[in-house]
Amino acid sequence: MEGEEDLSNPNKTLDPTYSHPKHTAMLERLSNRKQPFLSRNPDSHPFESTNSFLSRFSQSKHSIDSDLTRCRQSTDPDSKSTLKSDLEAVSISISDLEKLVAENSYFLPSYEVRTCLQTISSLKQSLENVTSEVFPKKKFAFKSKKASSGVLDKTEIENHDVDLEKPSFIVPDLPGFRNMENEVLVKEFKGSEMGEFSISDLNSCEVRLTGCLRAIFIHRLKNCKVYTGPVFGSVLIEEVEGCVFVLASHQIRVHHARASDFYLRVRSRPIIEDCSGVRFAPYCLSYDGIERDLKESNLDEETGNWANVDDFKWLKAVQSPNWEILPESESVGGVTILNSDK
Amino acid sequence: MGLLSIIRKIKRKEKEMRILMVGLDNSGKTTIVLKINGEDTSVISPTLGFNIKTIAYNKYTLNIWDVGGQRTIRSYWRNYFEQTDGLVWVVDSSDLRRLDDCKFELHNLLKEERLSGASLLIFANKQDIQGALSPDEITKVLNLEALDKTRHWENYWL
Ligand SMILES: Nc1nc2c(ncn2[C@@H]2O[C@H](COP(=O)(O)OP(=O)(O)OP(=O)(O)O)[C@@H](O)[C@H]2O)c(=O)[nH]1
Ligand SMILES: [Mg+2]
Repeated sequence: MEGEEDLSNPNKTLDPTYSHPKHTAMLERLSNRKQPFLSRNPDSHPFESTNSFLSRFSQSKHSIDSDLTRCRQSTDPDSKSTLKSDLEAVSISISDLEKLVAENSYFLPSYEVRTCLQTISSLKQSLENVTSEVFPKKKFAFKSKKASSGVLDKTEIENHDVDLEKPSFIVPDLPGFRNMENEVLVKEFKGSEMGEFSISDLNSCEVRLTGCLRAIFIHRLKNCKVYTGPVFGSVLIEEVEGCVFVLASHQIRVHHARASDFYLRVRSRPIIEDCSGVRFAPYCLSYDGIERDLKESNLDEETGNWANVDDFKWLKAVQSPNWEILPESESVGGVTILNSDK
Repeated sequence: MGLLSIIRKIKRKEKEMRILMVGLDNSGKTTIVLKINGEDTSVISPTLGFNIKTIAYNKYTLNIWDVGGQRTIRSYWRNYFEQTDGLVWVVDSSDLRRLDDCKFELHNLLKEERLSGASLLIFANKQDIQGALSPDEITKVLNLEALDKTRHWENYWL
């Protein structure tokens, strides 16, 4: 129950990324902004060290595990009613453990957060299993609070699945380059234009985008080179192979990329998912006016985050085998877009 | 029923609301939560686990759970269904290519029995982007009309 009370503290920032070990340099820079939070209310964050958190976590996990075993092994038919409340108590302990992870996730390394989440997930699964073992027929009461109105019947929704198949609306395309081969594709974004852009289904093309952008979507490129000016929002890259990207953006997400190099400047941590053979290096683009554009997009500062890649498919503390830092000897060195090329 | 859980339920009924924010990665969930809370949004990393924000609103305490939307961690969403009062589904209205994915995940979620008592809000985000679909268009694309009318859903944008 204590965990619940902790939630009454407003303005909590729990983003786990802020205090990753690799992140300390950035943390220091941000310390003015983050300081009030880190120093505020020390009582509600008693751990702030991975080890003490993990030992508390495994203690709780252990006690939940043994409670569950006890419930499972109880054979006395008279104890059903106490069993029910015992299982409820276990359910509450699991929720509390979950809150503990959430509240401390801002300083935990990302793989610890993921591991803890998996542990919680499997605890919930065991609870479900034990519950259905001990109370085979009836659904257990606390699983859903049934309101008398506004309840969506399960079968009713399933009927709607049929509708899911037929598209009721033709979706238009975003402005962008698509379906081309062996081309040099150039676009300059000027002044207040700040567009969003989509680049898809290209083979062996070179794409040069200069000026400030708001968002970029990239999908299905093969053997392409993509150079862009700063992006104020996010870049989403999916299904690319054999490509080189030189990008500056506030956020970068890469999904299903193979054998590609990324020269990045990023405000936050770049993330990859389902990637292999991807390599990372610092941003190296220049064109006339890029300094101004970077400043305008709040990307003039090198955060070093290009190397702080989080692999959503890699849980462990050791380096992910899916990505590496590009050796300097293999770096392209620098890319310049001349005015005549724009 | 255990005493603790009875107390907990009464307490919850009176003033606590649990809001779950979900949606595909990159839709803007964390940005929205931080904005609502008046916090700096200049450095936000894709969410690896989840964040909880507690916001006081009138007599209510809103516990907002912001859960990461990357594909790998979507299977964790189900960990947060229990006792959810409000479900906010955030859509990147400019991510036209992944609208199918978005529709699939949303309808998948709505099959979940444990969420059946929760109100649903569809948040058509990124309306400032030129090529973004309007909330009406989002309604059509996501096939929201197919939802049961007893479920309360609304389109909203920043
Ligand atoms: N143009 C525009 N960009 C937005 C808006 N809301 C969010 N963004 C941008 O969208 C990107 C993704 O935002 P996040 O808040 O990290 O998205 P999320 O849904 O939390 O993503 P995950 O944590 O990966 O699930 C960021 O670059 C934001 O700046 C909006 O209303 N308009
Ligand atoms: Mg997020």
